[in-house]
Amino acid sequence: MPPHLAAQSRCSSRREFLAQAGGGLGAIALASLLSGDRLLHAAKGDVRSRPLAPKPSHVEPRARRVIYLFMHGGPSHVDLFDPKPELIEYAGQPLPESVGPVMTRRKVAQNPLLGPVKPFRPRGESGLPISDFLPHVSEVADELCVLRGCHGDSVNHPQSVYQMNTGSVLMGRPSLGSWVSYGLGTENDSLPAFVVLPDPGGGIKGGPVAWGNGYLPATYQGTTFRPGPAPVVDLRPQRQISAPQQQGTIELLRDLNRRQSESKGADGQLEARIEAYELAFRMQAAAPAVVDFADESAETLEMYGIGEKDTEEFGRRCLLARRLVERGVRFVQLYSGDTNGWDAHNDVLKNHSEYCRKTDKPVAGLLRDLRRRGLLDDTLVIWGGEFGRMPMSEQGKGRDHNPWGYTVWLAGAKVRGGFAYGATDPFGLRAAEGKVHVHDLHATILYLLGLDHEQLTYLRNGRNERLTDVAGRVVTEILA
Amino acid sequence: MKVFRAAAVSLAVAVALSASHRPRAAETSADLKEVPITDDERSHWAYLPIGAFEPPVVNDARWRNHPIDAFVKSAMDANSVEPLPPAGKAILLRRVSFDLAGLPPTPKQIEEFLADDSPDAYEKLVDRLLASPAYGERFAQHWLDLARFAETDGFEHDLERPNAWRYRDWVIDALNRDMPYDEFIRLQLAGDELFPDDPQAAVATGFLLCGPDMPDINLQEERRHVVLNEMAATVGSVFLAVQFGCAQCHDHKYDPIRIQDFYRLRAFFESATIFRDHPIPTAGELAARRAAEAVRDPKYREADARREELETIGRERFRQKNPDVYPTLKQILGELGNDYNDEHRQLARLLKDAPPLPRLAEGRVMRDGEPREAHVWLRGDFRQPGPVVNGSFPRILAADGELATERPDRPRAELARWLTKPDHPLVARVIVNRLWQWHFGVGLAANPSDFGVMGAEPTHPELLDWLARRFVADGWSFKSMHRLIVTSRAYRLACAPFDAQWSAEQIAAAREIRNRSQAADPQNAWLWRRSRRRLEGEAIRDAMLVACDKLSVRTGGPGIRPPLAPEVTETLLKDQWNVSGDGEDHRRRGIYLFVRRNLRYPLFDVFDRPDTNASCAMRHESTTATQSLTQFNSQLSLECARWLAGAVAQHVSGTESDSRAIRQAYWRVFNRPAGEDEIRRGREFLSRQAQRLRDEGRQVDSLALPLDGPKPDDPLAAAALVDFCLALFNANEFLYLD
Repeated sequence: MPPHLAAQSRCSSRREFLAQAGGGLGAIALASLLSGDRLLHAAKGDVRSRPLAPKPSHVEPRARRVIYLFMHGGPSHVDLFDPKPELIEYAGQPLPESVGPVMTRRKVAQNPLLGPVKPFRPRGESGLPISDFLPHVSEVADELCVLRGCHGDSVNHPQSVYQMNTGSVLMGRPSLGSWVSYGLGTENDSLPAFVVLPDPGGGIKGGPVAWGNGYLPATYQGTTFRPGPAPVVDLRPQRQISAPQQQGTIELLRDLNRRQSESKGADGQLEARIEAYELAFRMQAAAPAVVDFADESAETLEMYGIGEKDTEEFGRRCLLARRLVERGVRFVQLYSGDTNGWDAHNDVLKNHSEYCRKTDKPVAGLLRDLRRRGLLDDTLVIWGGEFGRMPMSEQGKGRDHNPWGYTVWLAGAKVRGGFAYGATDPFGLRAAEGKVHVHDLHATILYLLGLDHEQLTYLRNGRNERLTDVAGRVVTEILA
Repeated sequence: MKVFRAAAVSLAVAVALSASHRPRAAETSADLKEVPITDDERSHWAYLPIGAFEPPVVNDARWRNHPIDAFVKSAMDANSVEPLPPAGKAILLRRVSFDLAGLPPTPKQIEEFLADDSPDAYEKLVDRLLASPAYGERFAQHWLDLARFAETDGFEHDLERPNAWRYRDWVIDALNRDMPYDEFIRLQLAGDELFPDDPQAAVATGFLLCGPDMPDINLQEERRHVVLNEMAATVGSVFLAVQFGCAQCHDHKYDPIRIQDFYRLRAFFESATIFRDHPIPTAGELAARRAAEAVRDPKYREADARREELETIGRERFRQKNPDVYPTLKQILGELGNDYNDEHRQLARLLKDAPPLPRLAEGRVMRDGEPREAHVWLRGDFRQPGPVVNGSFPRILAADGELATERPDRPRAELARWLTKPDHPLVARVIVNRLWQWHFGVGLAANPSDFGVMGAEPTHPELLDWLARRFVADGWSFKSMHRLIVTSRAYRLACAPFDAQWSAEQIAAAREIRNRSQAADPQNAWLWRRSRRRLEGEAIRDAMLVACDKLSVRTGGPGIRPPLAPEVTETLLKDQWNVSGDGEDHRRRGIYLFVRRNLRYPLFDVFDRPDTNASCAMRHESTTATQSLTQFNSQLSLECARWLAGAVAQHVSGTESDSRAIRQAYWRVFNRPAGEDEIRRGREFLSRQAQRLRDEGRQVDSLALPLDGPKPDDPLAAAALVDFCLALFNANEFLYLD
């Protein structure tokens, strides 16, 4: 166990520990030990001022950064990545009684089964089956490691969005991206460690809390970026303030702070604030450069579908994600889907045709681009929703929420490509083999990043909290 | 074909899993054993009776005048650290003003205080601050953090709670009236039960109902289970600093709280009707209503009742089919057959002619319904009822024979009665520790909501007990305790070995002390100096508005939604941030801004305002670049800088006007006189900045000019003054409290 994580689990009394602790600890130990970090200033100045400094991992990392493609609303695994011959065979009939009672959101348990709305075909050298909904992703099938036995605990959107993001169905726990920033810091101190690219179509079910820091310090929360010249709220001064004018004000501010520090003596807390302003000014310069695609070739833009009506928007965000991780941002999360998104209650064909059309080419382009730049070897790409969809029909052609069995795929990060792990039951209703609970998925993601999910803890109200609570198994079967 | 087992995992199970400390939960009632409390467990410091200690005798005469000082200095002596001298008057004034009122002193108040040489000048200042209504607005926020107060439900729909604000106003008012803490507790737990004839007394029970809620969860039983568990856990955490929530699935891993204790605590709340607002009319409203009803034709009352009945049928039918959607009246009627629809139309026609009845206020309050049987819920799962339990007090804290309630007809009042008994070992200790934390930044016991074995032991246990006894003896008065704490020497110490009022020798001597004490106690556990604190988001905003004379004095009522940047609101569902109130409302104190669970007011959000999803006992004090961007670039900051420039320009004209404007700005933002050197540098900035604007060839209409001030002679100089004000609002000296 690295010392910075070991320290806090030994600790029984915060002050006792702090009294013993000299300098030289990593930022985490102190930052996490304190529910408010105001005591930190008396420790090493740099500890407090750089809570996002890169930190050592627990085990050899396979990935250094993450791009998480979150398909909000719940894409249908049985129509995209999990072919079920029985579902074709029994289409139109109800589930056999042997399946037992099924908890659903909209009481669809007795409805007739709905066969896959588009055919599946083997793809790539691996022969991994993918449906005709996704012609572009099919071309990069050999990159995908498809987890078919995923499952979660709630049939409701917000609870499942929270669980997929934070491990808990309750509102307000720290998100995966926050945990990763907390555990690993960032390699670029001009940009946030954890960036979220929301769908411009509308907010998700559960709201921005889904990428919140929960009880972790605010430093670790997701920062939303949007395309366009001002990607971060208040990144730029108000329109009446010109750049040279702002520079003048910055100099005055530096002078005021320096004089105060000189008269009162050096102080980690005040120094940290000065550093936070410097970081803000660097971010002001760096962030617009990230969203400016002028240096991208026409061919690259084409790969992402930029310039085509349907794919322009999501393609831009995929490219932005690559540019962010390329610059050292640790964790980028993209949402596809407005408030309803992939939530195909009344017509899977219509809904998924629309969302696949918007995302298929950009996602494939992202994987290809990362591969050719050598980034995919140590970048983890995650694709999935908050749950999948029921094999039974709803309103004839739609499907209800299904948290009991669904698909998430991973790519990059030295996971096995062209590989399907686990299985749902013959109808695609419940995870049956190679089951991967959300906690297991989180444990695996952390493992790929070199973090041990049992060691990545934060002391709160006397308890060492974890992303995976008291569960979580690393799915080692998928490692290449 | 394989037979698959039903795998329906409920929310409750998920809660169970996420809250469990070790997977050791009983599967069946037969497995469920009640583990006795051991003597060893009873010997933990927090559960022992509050000790009777006398302030120790210390050698240093300056530390003998105040009982708190005797305890604090004695601990310093024992640990070989020396205190810094007290801070100078200007720093002290700023400190105590923000601390007690959440607002900076005005230039006039500074002048008066600095000029007052009387020996009790500071005590008079403290009394004035405690008597000001700003005090209640300040301390209410501390309490609302604990109460996880918000005006919406959270989760997907994040629906508004139109009456939630009444509880916020009640807290402010109770604090301003210095309501004794025992009564404060009794009303929040059981105001409705204790004063059944006074509907307004129920408003305080809003405390219990502040938590997040998911009204459209699959099963209403599940919803109730989750909310009642959250309620019991919050009560345990806030009043007792015991993490009861850890025992909702199985026995607490570290502390002597068994699963039975948890569900016995929850049992006090079991029979409440919690998912709708109740009428809480004032006496006047009720009288008017009764008078109107008396003269109204009874056919209208019957029609009203029948209409409600029909709509309930339609609403339930709709929700059966569309659990995700809240039906409109049209959708409700769509569910009713033709006959019902006709009837509804007729009723509506009839009622259109009915004389309107005066409205009754409604509140988000507790009200006892039909008694319900309380159970232990195995593994915390609402589908697995275990043995029946009755409301009774946690065994670790209750004397023998004290376990059962005497008045099962008003269970919450019984719980409140037990909590507020004068010799309760925890309640007074917990609250004086919180008060200490609110004044010093860190409690004497550093984990204010966890006095269990995993929480830190108090650094000054005898002082903690002395304060607890004193608090009860003084009639559970917050204001007396504030006065006692902030008039101690310990509270008044300097942060750093520097003060504008000290001589060079004094500074040199203080540096020596600092070097020695810093080496011996780098964390300041022995309180040898004041710990510097960053202003909270609310204080930053309120202080900017005070500095430019723009803070509104309006109070109370539903939370205000000031305009926000579109990129902030676009992550929300539609209509979740509709601007409310007028321009002046938008300049009210932070506590009156609308509290939406899914979107915190951005400035407060970046400055660590808690998310209201769980009780927050201690805010983070993080330092982030996003804070800097917000404070430096936001429209609010620039607007305040423009107002401030207008306000300081108002008082100056003619020669030396720059110097006088700078002096004014220092008074208003740093709350102290500016030094000659600072004025010179400020003037240099103004002329340099104006020159920069001139070099850029800036047009007047492109500049951010002072607002509400006199028309500037030189717009470029005036814009430079705005920049100067903006820099002050971003300086450490403004953002931190020494």
